[in-house]
Amino acid sequence: MLLIPCPFCREDRSEEEFSCAGEAHIARPEKPAELSDHEWGDYLFMRTNPRGPHRELWVHTAGCRRYFNVLRDTVSYEVLVVYEVGQPPPDPPGGDES
Amino acid sequence: MHGFAGDTLASALLANGVSRVATSFKYGRPRGVVGHGAEEPNAIVQLGQGGASVPNLRATQVELYDGLDARPCSRSKAQRLAGTFGRFMPAGFYYKTFMGAPQRWTAGVARPTALWTASEHVLRRATGLGRVPAGNDPDTYDRFNRHCDVLVVGAGPAGLAAALEAARSGARILIADEQAELGGSLLDGSYSLGGEHASKWVADAVAELASSADVDLLPRSTVAGYYDHNFLTIVERRTDHLGLVAANGTRQRLHRVRAGQVVLATGAIERPLVFANNDRPGVMMASSVSSYLNRYAVAVGDELLLFTANDHAYRTALDWQRAGLAVAAVVDCREAPEGGLVDAVRGAGTRVITGHAVTEASGRRRVTGAMIAPLGPGADSLTAAPQHIACDVIACSGGWSPTLHLSSQTGTRPRWHESAVAFLPGDLGKRALCAGAVAGARSLRDCLEQGALAGATAASRAGFGSGRTTFTAPETDEPSQAPSRALFLVPHPKPVSRAPKQFVDFQLDVTAADIELAAREGYTSVEHVKRYTALGFGTDQGKLGNVNGVAILARTLDQDIATTGTTMFRPAYTPVTFGAIAGRDVGEFHDPERHTPMHAWHASHGAMWEDVGRWKRPWYYPRPGETMQDAVNRECLAARDAVAVLDASTLGKTDIQGTDAAEFLDRVYTIGFRKLAVGRCRYGLMLREDGTIFDDGVTARLAENRYLMHTTTGNAEAVFAWLERWHQTEWPELDVYLTSVTDHWATTALVGPESRAVLARVCDDIDLSRDAFRFMDVREGHVAGIAARVFRISFSGELSFEVNVCAQHGRQVWDAIVEAGGEFGITPYGTEAMHVLRAEKGFIIVGQDSDTTTTPHDAGMDWVVRRNKPFGFLGDRSLDVSDHRREDRLQLVGLATTDEDTVLPEGGQLVDKPEAEAPVPMAGHVTSSYHSARLGRSIALAMVKSGTTRLGDTLHCPLADGRTVSAKIVSPVFYDPDGERQNV
Amino acid sequence: MSDGPGVVMRESGARGWWNLRGDGDEPRFRDGVAAVVGVSPPIEPCTWHAAGDRRAYWLGPDEWLLTAEHGTEFESPLRGALHGRCSIVDVSGAQILVNLSGAQAGEVLRKSSPYDFHPRRFPPGRCVQTNFAKATALVAANADASFDVVFRRSYADYLRGWIADAGREYGFLRGSLGTDHPTRRQRQPAQDDD
Ligand SMILES: [Zn+2]
Repeated sequence: MLLIPCPFCREDRSEEEFSCAGEAHIARPEKPAELSDHEWGDYLFMRTNPRGPHRELWVHTAGCRRYFNVLRDTVSYEVLVVYEVGQPPPDPPGGDES
Repeated sequence: MHGFAGDTLASALLANGVSRVATSFKYGRPRGVVGHGAEEPNAIVQLGQGGASVPNLRATQVELYDGLDARPCSRSKAQRLAGTFGRFMPAGFYYKTFMGAPQRWTAGVARPTALWTASEHVLRRATGLGRVPAGNDPDTYDRFNRHCDVLVVGAGPAGLAAALEAARSGARILIADEQAELGGSLLDGSYSLGGEHASKWVADAVAELASSADVDLLPRSTVAGYYDHNFLTIVERRTDHLGLVAANGTRQRLHRVRAGQVVLATGAIERPLVFANNDRPGVMMASSVSSYLNRYAVAVGDELLLFTANDHAYRTALDWQRAGLAVAAVVDCREAPEGGLVDAVRGAGTRVITGHAVTEASGRRRVTGAMIAPLGPGADSLTAAPQHIACDVIACSGGWSPTLHLSSQTGTRPRWHESAVAFLPGDLGKRALCAGAVAGARSLRDCLEQGALAGATAASRAGFGSGRTTFTAPETDEPSQAPSRALFLVPHPKPVSRAPKQFVDFQLDVTAADIELAAREGYTSVEHVKRYTALGFGTDQGKLGNVNGVAILARTLDQDIATTGTTMFRPAYTPVTFGAIAGRDVGEFHDPERHTPMHAWHASHGAMWEDVGRWKRPWYYPRPGETMQDAVNRECLAARDAVAVLDASTLGKTDIQGTDAAEFLDRVYTIGFRKLAVGRCRYGLMLREDGTIFDDGVTARLAENRYLMHTTTGNAEAVFAWLERWHQTEWPELDVYLTSVTDHWATTALVGPESRAVLARVCDDIDLSRDAFRFMDVREGHVAGIAARVFRISFSGELSFEVNVCAQHGRQVWDAIVEAGGEFGITPYGTEAMHVLRAEKGFIIVGQDSDTTTTPHDAGMDWVVRRNKPFGFLGDRSLDVSDHRREDRLQLVGLATTDEDTVLPEGGQLVDKPEAEAPVPMAGHVTSSYHSARLGRSIALAMVKSGTTRLGDTLHCPLADGRTVSAKIVSPVFYDPDGERQNV
Repeated sequence: MSDGPGVVMRESGARGWWNLRGDGDEPRFRDGVAAVVGVSPPIEPCTWHAAGDRRAYWLGPDEWLLTAEHGTEFESPLRGALHGRCSIVDVSGAQILVNLSGAQAGEVLRKSSPYDFHPRRFPPGRCVQTNFAKATALVAANADASFDVVFRRSYADYLRGWIADAGREYGFLRGSLGTDHPTRRQRQPAQDDD
């Protein structure tokens, strides 16, 4: 059960208050009509599914109802950074740490 | 039988001379109590009868109460079978039976074999330890959310020291221990602290903690699970010690704990020694022998033989002697043990035989003696023939295995420490610490000091105190201890495969020979060996046997233990009742019911209910003597011929405001809203980005920059979240705000040719005439004196008004409308009639007639799609992908059965040629199907391949009973195709 | 229990409730709300402001829940007072408020929600939207150590039953509040400071 700091409520809250809405930074193409079926299919379906830091979109469903982004490690489940939608994705923390 | 207050079931059984408590799972051998706590593998009992019965309890942890009724979980019939078949059940029995024999591995996907099928019923009975209780559990269970700065797991010396130290910093502390009393190992032994019996120190520590603010003590509470981000579950047994059924209150409480820091002070479990017939009743753990003697005043026999690989167990010989009982000998596998405890035992005149091991226990029903022999230097051979020593108890100690189950649950892999001869917890990171025996501490002083330091460190990490301890450990009377010897399998004059059974896992009857066999058959990973032999698969999760099993595997593979590694442990530490997991989410609380303001009216008018999402909606209102079909027919005809009334409050409703509200709606709906006039409504389809239908409903323009959107009942929350997501993540620049008003409005739908007349009786400030209040208009006024918003929309094809008022007045307005409709024969109708009415009109229900592959074109709804909007709309692009333009897609059609009285089953598959050879190609399926009272025949909607071009064709629906129903493909609009009835 | 109920649940009568959206960083927005409602929308997350019987609860960075005595008209005056991006929606029918008091009121919350209601984390003047049993609720800490719990009307039957069940072991009493007061006889938890 994760503990997630909501950037709007500015508190750590339990995972059960949130919903994960999938990978973040999947921008909707500006001119869908100009894309091939294949390119449009990539936007619809293709996701990175990395092992390690992953940028995810979460929503504070039972709380403030705001969407925000989470950089979460898919191995350790550590929540590395939370940041607002529209902000650039942070670099995954480098170097070794435990 | 009789026992004493404070007894456990195990101590009482032992005191009453019961040495055999179980029959072993595979071989049907007699088994006795081995341990005195959570590790007990044999004395597994089921308490009580009927619904309150509880299986899989360890007798060592069951507190005695008056009238306690217990049975071994083992079962005579299954056991007899297992006993008979025992010799045919070698290692890998499960694996081979489930998955096929090893030589068939190359076959790719493994399938259950015929052997499994044949023996399944026998195994199912034999493997389940215990019986599923019959009937409902009469007890109450609940859940409790807790937060603390420091959670201390275990209230032995390390845990108490940690809690004391952390509490003094002002942090919020929770300390949990599975035993009835706090004190841990100090309760079992004859330790002294500060010159007094250790119980005095424990009492003082508990008193200090109990009187501290913000310290909560949870005895009888097992920390069962340790999950991500310091979330732990604790099962508190609140009344189990008083009887099987709690007189009042909660029997067990599941604490859901979020801890800032966790101190694991879970102690260690003594390790058995593996020798031939080491499962005979009378072979016990040395610390357990001491515990029964010191804590429960039970001597588990008359003449003790102690077999040890370490100094600590010498305490048991001293305890035994102090009680005036005979010690036959101490057999120490070390060549030259020395130290205070050894000296003390020798000083008391006890025979200490060094460099020897017990190779075999004698006796059948219980121990009558031990065979002992000198060990060779590598501990893998004997240097002389075994000799017999008479005794009736063999107390064993192979060393101590830290109780690292909880740290392992977090994913932290245990590490082997050669010097400690044990696996210790791996790196616990920044949120947890371990202290005491679990961390490898061997002396009481070390446990106390480590505990205090961990408590101070944890508190400081949580923001309390400096992290330095103020703790001064009380004086202990411990002599120094010499290192233990690593001894995991005692050699026998015969090879392992032919020696009498040397048990590693008592509960599942796994022997040293089984592990060697697994290795010979090619299993080299400890995880595979676990699954092949079932080592550690029992309800005890291998608390006793795991390390010995790993070590025997390592030796067989000729590699070291660190390389071999250990299996991981998963929640729960000990079995958790389903009751504790369910908590109060049973019965009326299992799934919340949402009620409309008119709920009580429906209930008092005999409504049958349909669950729609969490809502309770009236399904139909049967009158005395009516069948469901009678009632639905009557309700439908009332709506068609006179007037009927439906509670439509459950529809999802979203208020949309802002200067970009129209733009926002244009983007999320297939149709445009920009040009919709204020006071008008429009029907829209909402698509997913893949072009399939997500939701539908009517949206009204209330003002220049304000709309009210209706969504389907079941989809309301998903649609609202979807709209917020697009606004917040893709189009934050749009000036639009969304507010859910589903619960604010109570909606009474007045339907039928007389609906205008009825409404006119309760509304005098809206002009209801045909031209002033047109179809798809919305008006504001008062109904029954209450401010109301009235929509002239229709889901039935009839003249219809939907009256919306603030839910505070919903019942009042409903009552007024029903009363006003009295002389018109107004009839309440439910969701079933609503479905029939809409199906007669060919209106789809999203999620019933459509699924997640249905596009607007498939549903015949191109008329509601505008492809020329400036932005386009969500899902727009997908309508053009090649797969969505196929002509053989499933398309919405109507079906008219050849026999007008036969109603097709919803979900029924449709085929062209029912006599064709299987597999018969599918032409489609039935999505909605009813008897229509108005049309006097059966009608259905269906999704059929290329359906719209197949009007007039006949399809066939094979039924489960062998009959086949034929039906003609027709237009989905069965009634009033020109929509004249709603425009009156 | 012989020494009185540990948990008392009092349900408020009909009140006015509004959902307010807008830019809380805009002083004109805050002043406009304060002028009409008599209480300004709190900017600090998870807090609430009160003036007499009127309340403004923080729901999100641009969202507040306002409440006032039954019959109050806020919608038109607020529309008049606020310019630019904002939204005001009457949700009076959607809200049910109960007040939980008594020595064990906090225990009922702990049975119902994963949030940390310890007084150190949740002093008077705080409010939180969170899971409540299998529904959601807004919980506010009052100055008299009682709690106000606001939930959706459709869940009211379920949650009244849930709270009564959770309170039973402590001794549970059910009463009612006057129609005008969400919590009578209590001091103001947080002064309006902006
Ligand atoms: Zn939040």
